[in-house]
Amino acid sequence: MAEIAVGIDLGTSNTCVSLMRDGEVQVLDNAFNERTSASVVHFHEDGSVEVGNSAKAKVIHSPAETVSSAKRLIGRYYFSEEVKKAQAVYAYEIVEAANHGVRIEIREEEFSLPEISAMVLREMKQIAERHTGEKVTKAVITVPAYFNDNQRQATKDAGRIAGLEVLRILNEPTAAALAYGFGMGLNQRVAVYDLGGGTFDISVLEIGKDIFEVLATCGDTFLGGDDFDDRIIDLLADDFIAEHGTNPRNDPYAFEKLKLAAENAKKQLSVDEEAHISIEDVLTNDAGEPLGVERTITRAEFALLVQDLIQRTFKVCDEAMQQSDLTVRDLDGVILVGGPTRLSIVREAVTHYFQQEPRNDVDPDEVVSMGAAIHAASLIGEAQDAMLLDVTPLDLRIGVAGGLAEPVIERNTPVPIEQTRTFTTFQDHQESVQIRVYQGDHRMAENNTLLGQFEFSGFEKGPRSDVKIDVTFEIDADGLVNVTASDQATGQQASTQITLSSGLDDAQIEKLIEDDVAGRVTTAGSDDLVATSDAAGELDIPAAPPAPAAPQTNEAPQEPSLFGDGTTDFSVDRPDDLIDLSEGDDADLDLMDDDELAQLAGDPVEPDDVISLDTPVELPKEDDGFFDTSGDDLSAEPELELDEEDK
Amino acid sequence: MAPPAVEPLEIAALSKIMDELDYYQLLNVESNASTADIRKAFHISSRNFHPDANRELAGELREQCQQISKRITEAYCVLRDTRRRNSYDSRISDGDSLRIQIAEAKTAHVEQRKAERTGATAQGRQFFGKAEADLKAGNLTGAIQNIQMALTFEAGNAGFKSLLKELRERQKAIS
Repeated sequence: MAEIAVGIDLGTSNTCVSLMRDGEVQVLDNAFNERTSASVVHFHEDGSVEVGNSAKAKVIHSPAETVSSAKRLIGRYYFSEEVKKAQAVYAYEIVEAANHGVRIEIREEEFSLPEISAMVLREMKQIAERHTGEKVTKAVITVPAYFNDNQRQATKDAGRIAGLEVLRILNEPTAAALAYGFGMGLNQRVAVYDLGGGTFDISVLEIGKDIFEVLATCGDTFLGGDDFDDRIIDLLADDFIAEHGTNPRNDPYAFEKLKLAAENAKKQLSVDEEAHISIEDVLTNDAGEPLGVERTITRAEFALLVQDLIQRTFKVCDEAMQQSDLTVRDLDGVILVGGPTRLSIVREAVTHYFQQEPRNDVDPDEVVSMGAAIHAASLIGEAQDAMLLDVTPLDLRIGVAGGLAEPVIERNTPVPIEQTRTFTTFQDHQESVQIRVYQGDHRMAENNTLLGQFEFSGFEKGPRSDVKIDVTFEIDADGLVNVTASDQATGQQASTQITLSSGLDDAQIEKLIEDDVAGRVTTAGSDDLVATSDAAGELDIPAAPPAPAAPQTNEAPQEPSLFGDGTTDFSVDRPDDLIDLSEGDDADLDLMDDDELAQLAGDPVEPDDVISLDTPVELPKEDDGFFDTSGDDLSAEPELELDEEDK
Repeated sequence: MAPPAVEPLEIAALSKIMDELDYYQLLNVESNASTADIRKAFHISSRNFHPDANRELAGELREQCQQISKRITEAYCVLRDTRRRNSYDSRISDGDSLRIQIAEAKTAHVEQRKAERTGATAQGRQFFGKAEADLKAGNLTGAIQNIQMALTFEAGNAGFKSLLKELRERQKAIS
């Protein structure tokens, strides 16, 4: 039996699944004959789960049980700016889990972000199975090129939880380029401008006959079509306040109405010159009368509203062009990806920037999943090979003494790659070292994203310059980071696939697979389609598998603190993940306070000597601040050059 | 299933001698190869050794193939970049080593920028030093003259040029 491997574009707003068979790539539509499904998960009272556009419709009536835009949160720390923003915007509860992870609490049950995404992926799996009549167990899943290791790993975990073997985590722009150039015998340089619902990527590629080489990729994981919607929401909310004196943003139901209207208006503006918005009952007043809002937005008005957002994308493009050592004149084509690129204001700006019309023979909503399907087919030997030579989007760094993070593998380095650095201990007779690995472009460790940390001990103690520790950094073809350390004298090794924070370790993932959390997804048959999209919550969803008691070993759920009082400007100015933790400029600021560190140093989980944020073992030092300069840091200067020890 | 891209024997053999090859030998190019040739060679090597091209391999061979693939990427990374390639060339001609840290070239770049700021030639640095001393002493005219002198030795030095421009503007503002 021929194997089946699908390509899935797991988007912030919409998800799309494609399959390549007999040389043809086909976008697989869902039971509603829709080619993309909303990446929205709705939880019914009976524990069953609905995914897609019908789930999205339920947000109006039960916003607290309907999770959208999970991709904005996946692989993030609880303290990150993005999580705070989500807490202000979404009605579902976002709570903190161990190791600064994030959980979504629905009907007193907690779900990790990979679980939520797994439900969306399971829906795609079921769509593919309906089309093929066979089990689908393999997939290539795409992520924004600018996703860091934490986000990639969490996405891969989501695939596993959904019951999929993830053949590859593929960068969205690379997938788009593959769909565009596969089998065409091209010899071109192209730019892929990928403005999604929540992220922006730009990649510059050289496409040869059967080779797709990424020359550079840059991005902004805090910028997308959602931000465009937010600007319209602000406009409507301000109008509403002016007219009725109440802030509709404080009411989750009202907010969802504004959000939906804003999104529809935006979409209409990609077709028409103006969009008319009219909501009769945003809120009701004390007398029970509906309070509405009505407004017309023209393209010109909208252009003004989002101009700065669009300009921000070109700053990122400047960087990518510079990193690829090309000018826009060297480009043979510009490919647009993502729903927001349908907006004429975006197309015009892109045309102006790149001094050429973007290709219009590529569907911006489907091209990524099609490329993923091509790669999936090629990975199982069902299609001719096209080599994808991709790059890592961010500097990979190691934490050294003084709160600094030294680059080991720079961004836009091709992968797979490996680099080994030799370090010495910082103090005489030091017994262990903390190895902390970061991604980001800052010299100061705290301004980068911590991927993980592990402790290395058991080497022969000695004077500080005598102990030499080789730390090997590897980035594989998925863009995933692996770090190992070994002692030159004894050859003893410690290693960890760096895993993350939001925190699922292997045992947890196995448990989720065993419990079949993703099995809660019930694919609506075409019969009850109409009913499901309207009668929110009232419909009996048939035959949900018994919902296992899945609550994790977390403490009592916390109230999410709501940031923003409704007057919040939702445009985030690309904050750093760690921005809220330390306002000071002192080099040796501790990132976390002692309580947090104690938590971080929590329960020993695995018997081996591997440490990551997920599976911390007890740290021998009490004062192990993330960025303190105490003795167990590595010496700032690599003691040996790589070459010397390699001979 | 696609056949493996290279013979298992070749993988095992290359894996054994990999550490004794310099980046040029590894990519199978001449030491004066153009960047375009190096890119082409990288593509050919990737077709042979990239993990995607050798999915059927298992066990030790798979591991060896991955090591080769990573080393090829490293070689490409260094040789495609003029700065890095120069550092590497001088290193292998010194007989130092056959490998180099790819992040090391960044430091080299920083040094280049520093040279840009304080002078790349002995005379340039000398007159820049004099100009700095003049500035400290409040002698704007002297500083301008010395920067002009420095520029006669390093006509292309952007750092000197912008400093000169700045000093002239300051002078204008005073007078």
